[in-house]
Amino acid sequence: MSKTINFKIDGKNVEATKGETILQVARKNDIYIPTMCYISKTSPCASCRICSVEVEGVDGFVLSCNTPPTEGIEVKTNSQELELERTNIMKLYDVNHPLECGVCDKSGECDLQNMTLEFGVSQQNFSAKEQHKTVKDWGLISYDPALCIMCEKCVHVCNEVIGDDAIDVKFGGYSSTIIPKNAETLDCTFCGECIAVCPVGALVSSDFKYSSNAWELSRIPSTCAHCSAGCPLEYEVKHTTDRSVQAESIYRVKNNFEFTSLCGAGRFGFDFENKADKDAAALSAALDALKNANAIRFSSMITNEEAHILNSLKKQLGVKLFNEDARELQAFMKAYSSVSGKLHHSATLEAVKQAEAAIIIGSRVATDNPGVRYALTTAARHNGAKIVYAHPMEDTLMQNTATQFMKYEVGTEEGVMALLAYELLKGADVDEASRAYLDGLDLGYLSAESNVGDDELLAMTKSFARAENKVLILGSDLFAHERAQNIAKLAALIEKYTDFSLLIIPNEVNSLGVSLICELDKDEEIDNVVGYNAHGDFVIASFDGANLAMPALNQQEGSVVSIDNRVLPLNVAVGFEGYNLNDIANALGLSKEYTIDYTKELPQSAGFKAIAFDDLENFLTPYGDDERGYLLDEVVCSADGKVEDVEDLPEFNGTVIYNSNPVLQFNSYTNSTKQLEKDTTLRGSAQFSAAARISDGDEVEITFGGETITRVFKLDPELKGTVALNPTFDTLSRVGGYKFLKSKIVRVV
Amino acid sequence: MSKVYFSTWRGEQINNIGKPQDEWEESAYNLPAQYDDHRDSKAFIGWDGVALFDEDVDVIRLAMEYAAQYQEYSEACGRCAPGRWGGRILYDQLDKIARGEGALSDLEHLKEIGKSMQMTSKCEIGKTVPNPIIDLMEHFEDTFLECINEQKPSKHYNESIGYIAKITAPCSDACPADVDIPGYIEGVRDLRFDDSLMATRQTMPLAHVCGRVCPHPCEDACRRTNLDEPISIMSLKRLGADWETDHGYDFFHPMEKKPSIGKKVAVVGAGPAGLTTAYYLAAEGIDVDVYEELPVLGGEVTVGVPEYRMPWDKYLKDIECVKDMGVNFILNHRVSQDDMRRFEKEYDATMIASGTRISKPVRCANERPEIQGYWGAIDFLDWVNLYEKFDIKTPKEVQEKQMLPSDHVDLTGKTVVCVGGGFTSMDVVRCSIRAGAKRVIMLYRRDEKTIIRNTTYEEYHEAVEEGVEFIFHSAVSEIIDENDVLKALVVDKFELVPDPDGGRPQLVKIEGASETIECDYLVPAVSQSAELSFIPEEWELEMTSWATLKTNGKDYMTSRKGIFASGDCEYGPMTIVNAVGQAKRGASVMARYVQTGEITLTDEEIMEDHLKKLKVYDKGEKITGWLPGLPREHSVVLDVMDRKDNNKEVALGFTQEQALSEAERCMRCYYIAMVQA
Repeated sequence: MSKTINFKIDGKNVEATKGETILQVARKNDIYIPTMCYISKTSPCASCRICSVEVEGVDGFVLSCNTPPTEGIEVKTNSQELELERTNIMKLYDVNHPLECGVCDKSGECDLQNMTLEFGVSQQNFSAKEQHKTVKDWGLISYDPALCIMCEKCVHVCNEVIGDDAIDVKFGGYSSTIIPKNAETLDCTFCGECIAVCPVGALVSSDFKYSSNAWELSRIPSTCAHCSAGCPLEYEVKHTTDRSVQAESIYRVKNNFEFTSLCGAGRFGFDFENKADKDAAALSAALDALKNANAIRFSSMITNEEAHILNSLKKQLGVKLFNEDARELQAFMKAYSSVSGKLHHSATLEAVKQAEAAIIIGSRVATDNPGVRYALTTAARHNGAKIVYAHPMEDTLMQNTATQFMKYEVGTEEGVMALLAYELLKGADVDEASRAYLDGLDLGYLSAESNVGDDELLAMTKSFARAENKVLILGSDLFAHERAQNIAKLAALIEKYTDFSLLIIPNEVNSLGVSLICELDKDEEIDNVVGYNAHGDFVIASFDGANLAMPALNQQEGSVVSIDNRVLPLNVAVGFEGYNLNDIANALGLSKEYTIDYTKELPQSAGFKAIAFDDLENFLTPYGDDERGYLLDEVVCSADGKVEDVEDLPEFNGTVIYNSNPVLQFNSYTNSTKQLEKDTTLRGSAQFSAAARISDGDEVEITFGGETITRVFKLDPELKGTVALNPTFDTLSRVGGYKFLKSKIVRVV
Repeated sequence: MSKVYFSTWRGEQINNIGKPQDEWEESAYNLPAQYDDHRDSKAFIGWDGVALFDEDVDVIRLAMEYAAQYQEYSEACGRCAPGRWGGRILYDQLDKIARGEGALSDLEHLKEIGKSMQMTSKCEIGKTVPNPIIDLMEHFEDTFLECINEQKPSKHYNESIGYIAKITAPCSDACPADVDIPGYIEGVRDLRFDDSLMATRQTMPLAHVCGRVCPHPCEDACRRTNLDEPISIMSLKRLGADWETDHGYDFFHPMEKKPSIGKKVAVVGAGPAGLTTAYYLAAEGIDVDVYEELPVLGGEVTVGVPEYRMPWDKYLKDIECVKDMGVNFILNHRVSQDDMRRFEKEYDATMIASGTRISKPVRCANERPEIQGYWGAIDFLDWVNLYEKFDIKTPKEVQEKQMLPSDHVDLTGKTVVCVGGGFTSMDVVRCSIRAGAKRVIMLYRRDEKTIIRNTTYEEYHEAVEEGVEFIFHSAVSEIIDENDVLKALVVDKFELVPDPDGGRPQLVKIEGASETIECDYLVPAVSQSAELSFIPEEWELEMTSWATLKTNGKDYMTSRKGIFASGDCEYGPMTIVNAVGQAKRGASVMARYVQTGEITLTDEEIMEDHLKKLKVYDKGEKITGWLPGLPREHSVVLDVMDRKDNNKEVALGFTQEQALSEAERCMRCYYIAMVQA
């Protein structure tokens, strides 16, 4: 199948692998072919026709973006004829394009501008009747049809990479426009990827619109700080003229849309930086608090270097370190390692994109980790991947990605994983003990209690029959489960004995890094707990209301470990005038000039490399290769763990809430940003509403696990069943713990 | 042959300008000179030229209106830069000349833009719209110059003139159901499978079925053949349907169901024609009752086409899609003459879509239906499929008649001879293999090439792989029985003798070459005839010479007002897609008939018929602008050892990679044809 095709472009010998187009081969070989509508990560839009080339012996032009080469052809990328027709196309593009470059957001980085100049179009001999087109306000996104060149890039990314499929082309010759699909206004997750790929100023950020010229902004490459997907982004900053506010601020976020994507939180939720001056009194209070502390409680929204410092302080001060989220992941991964014999999971987002079969279990992934969702969307569209979405709750956002919804009862994850292991390991060459274990499973009981029938498992196997690349993806519902460790072992067994690779989805931006660096203690309610980006008796944090202010993740250098086991650098987008954790550490006896001096000291026993921060690269090559940071080294562990018997599966009756955030919200940082919607309602189905005896708009008191909160209830027609979604982004306390909770819900009268 | 005043169609150069009418040279093509019974055409303009039937045609306006159509054909236009802007500029410049404000330079611009469109447009519409416009500008240059020089409007610029246009494509034109093939392939290419499916369902509700078991006449008219190999059109159809099914979506209907208009239609038979009629009538807000004799829905595709070729769970989705439109089905109801009389009173119209369910005899000596082991193909396949798909057991009397050891068709150790050569016979022999027969023979009068042409290459080769013996140039001359139990067949051999006059070669019996084949079963699958005893005799419906219901092949009404017929009972045993095409047209006519009492065709339908006569596909056309030599993808087939003893689907369909690369080969050969009537 992987036959190579040899041919020539402009006299140069080149080769293509099966499936590659002439344009792709040209780009791989640094041969320039102009394009207006091409985007690497989607199927060709083929609307601009500028990438036409000539092929020796073939009459007419051949489109290079969607034509694979045949053996021995000689391609010519340039000729007078081609130049003439390409210029004519540019002239057509310019017909009636509003001459408002002076105020257009895109000016200076506009493909139409660039290509018009490239082809030297200074006038055109033809014209068409002008049409009146009005600008559409789609919330965070603004669309000006007069500027739109109908390249269809936005339509392709929205459907093929993101999965929202929210944009349609309204055909009609010259009056064609982009419209929201099956809706009056744009009904989507507002990732803003359409803005990113728009080659002109047609789709722009409503917030950014008219706020700056492109060339006034400087770009700071960094890594998104909101989830563990580790998406590369660039903060674009500018010195403001208003000196009463900060000297500089972030105007917008952009991404290398040719190869990577961003969700709306990354793109629009960039203004979470903290403001503070050096407050010596607060620092000294913090030092006192730390000296008297019994424990430091912290969140995983910190860098590896901060985690390393905290771990050092633990030893230095003899305190406990609390971080339930990372501790649960640590325990989960430890159990995994005890069967797999290695420290790190095997798959990456790239592996998901290449997959032809995937099972995702234990995550409401579209909101938990959009990066994983986009990778699944890519696999579903481009590879026709069969995707099993196993979860107690349907998610309409996943419908056009998942090919099988495997609904299981809340709490029965261990049983479901055992059933999956049984099914996937049928006929696999497993060791005797494991075979005996699998044969000994009480399948009838597991199926009955989990509600996953053998017909579903067989349907899954049947749909996977032709797949070669397969991935098993585990979400954070599993890490915090009472039986997390056995679930991890079962997953390791599948990874070990099948051709499935394994991906785990860390909860927070750096849960994985923290879990690899810190020695953590089980959280307990004790006195004198200092919170670091977490609640405590004394709070040192980068969010509002802390006793001592710290820089946020867009204000410091440091690194995080992404879902891909990749160590990624963060950079300073906006300055921070106050103290940072390194100042505190130095005051407490540690000694480093800068926080990033710790980068090369991160534990090699966990796979980190002795590479200094300044030596971490942060770019993608023009061919899309990820050259950011480095991949953790694999670490071999002893595989002395054994899968345990499945315990009786728990039952969750009555009204259950599921801690899950709405689209674009992750944590207190996304909550602090200006553009992102903040829906703090408890969302439930009609069935939930009936069971809890509450109606849409009611204020309700929710009691779970000894805690009571008040929320407004929102009836969500897209939901089913008796589990409601409870957001956590507006609270600090709920980090870690099994996300499904039995709850008591009372209407506040 | 058509009488024309002027024609450049397909490169002909007919110019009768200034000649008296009786000296006019005729066009070699079936151009639509007569639009319908009450209207002559004045001009025909399309992708490959222009023809004028009348001296009075305003050629500037004609060119302008043709350019205007390009702007209106929403499904095909706006998708590329040259087409989107170029098309508009063509129109604006022509309109400028036509209204008397043109300049000489406009002619140059028209040619320049026209050439860019021809060279670089995405689809054939963009590439071909300039063709007839440039033809007119060349041949009627004086007319154009006159308007420009005198700054006067073209001769009929301000009059109201009827222009009727239709978008077509060679493949769609060859498809009996006129499916928007480039549209559904574009949906696959753009990974917009819902769009793909809806493009199919506009004229074809059975996307799962016709994505699997269609003989795809479209592929014989695929323009890509002129370059290398035809697109695998059929296999790309199932992607949209599989997408909808795999993701558990509600049905993507291409139209919104209209509210009830208080009219009722009865449909006899729930096969492809019945389902299609019901779907499109229900969409029009008409209440539809479908009466089906069998205990299951789907007609021959259910009880005739075997599971390994058309899995029931997939066909069921097509049927559910029809149901979802709001159709009422009545099963286990054999329609009687009294029913028909009642339908005529109670319903506003009736569609007969009862198929052809009688296996014709092979016409040999001692051919008696009571012989045990003599088993008509339709009945044989009924019992195979009812058991395999629905677990319906073969009744005692059939078991006894056909000597079955148990409650289903088990042929273990038996020898089966099938006489046929079409799809039905292929189903019989391959089902016999799966039923455990020791030896399975297909007797066919003609040769291998013909059997492939009558079925498909894949079908024939898969049957051979599975162990079916094909004996060509042979026919049964006598059945030998012992006490009414089949024992053997006497088979004559034939040879093909060429016709010295160049006609079809004749089959001539080779004397003395006959042989006797011992066997347990003879399954005649030569053809089927319609069972129409349920039609009241007093109606005296007109029949065709092969005993099917007669219609004019355009509106599908029988000789009795309000009684329509489509599918095999009208045409004779033919393909699924033929039944769908007829029924779709019939439904469209019925939808108007129940409201107005009139039998009419829409302009779209009239144009469709004209174009079919003209034939859109030109196999001699040279293709430019595409790289030749990109091979057609072939769908993966289950290995013979994994399939011949079970009912697993044989054709696994394309992998996504194959589907995309196949879709990318499609050249989007949309064309616009327009008539001035």
